[in-house]
Amino acid sequence: MFDKSKIGQSFPPFTIEVERGKIRELALAIGDDNPIYQSREAAQAAGYPDVPLFPTAPTMLVFWGNEKMVGQIASLGINLAGVLHGEEKYEYLAPIYPGDVLTGVMTLVDGKTRQGQGGSSIDILTVEIRYTNQHGQPVLNAREVIIARS
Amino acid sequence: MTTNAQTPTKLYYEDVQVGDEIPKLVKSPVSHLQLVRYAGASGDFNPLHTDPKIGEMLGIGGIIAHGMLIMGFVGQMLSDYVGPTAVREFGVRFKSMTHLDDVITCTGTITEKYEANGEARVAGKVQAADQTGDVKVTGTFVAALPRRA
Repeated sequence: MFDKSKIGQSFPPFTIEVERGKIRELALAIGDDNPIYQSREAAQAAGYPDVPLFPTAPTMLVFWGNEKMVGQIASLGINLAGVLHGEEKYEYLAPIYPGDVLTGVMTLVDGKTRQGQGGSSIDILTVEIRYTNQHGQPVLNAREVIIARS
Repeated sequence: MTTNAQTPTKLYYEDVQVGDEIPKLVKSPVSHLQLVRYAGASGDFNPLHTDPKIGEMLGIGGIIAHGMLIMGFVGQMLSDYVGPTAVREFGVRFKSMTHLDDVITCTGTITEKYEANGEARVAGKVQAADQTGDVKVTGTFVAALPRRA
């Protein structure tokens, strides 16, 4: 069972530079061969200033930007074996392009424990990562719901 | 402050009506190689998605796809429809697991048109389901579209 006193707790900020090559790699792994994700030239030919962020690129920002994330989630007191991803939501507040250096702060914004059968229980945690860019401007909020069996 | 720019899409606000269907996206069957590539690209190296022994141990019938890969498929559909920089909000719930060789089809519908933050916006609901109709993710999105001059 997770530690309810941790609700509202934020973890130390992490930074990650947005890389053109990583956007390309993600798009190709998903099977999206749209040329706008392949090169700056192709993106500019389509009217973008540079390669745009793929809609689900925020997942890559946190996995590659915050290598401590798994340990931080575990420190909330949940059982990492059998963790399920319940929900994922992004709010895009301002443009993000290659070369931007983002700072993310992850906060446990909500959590509850549901009692199951036979004394088991399920923890449902909502974490939010708020990103600002190198100018201090908020650019992206990412919310994730994690479901963990105790 | 930089604000979100209008997207270089050919889709205009006036061209979209509530109830419109988003052109559906049918993906190639999910392969083991794709999950390995996606793990490397995303940085999610949970072996549940790449090591068949783990999936068998957990009794979930081999490896399962990253939920975020399926959200990525839906993201590709939205990217094709409105362009990536038009998206203002995009969220999904993960409903069931995706296995190797599943063929995922993404679909969506426009549910709302409105103005906010000085932008003309459309909202919609999206989903991804496999070849048997089993729904993998459901979600919603908001996109800002240019107006015809």
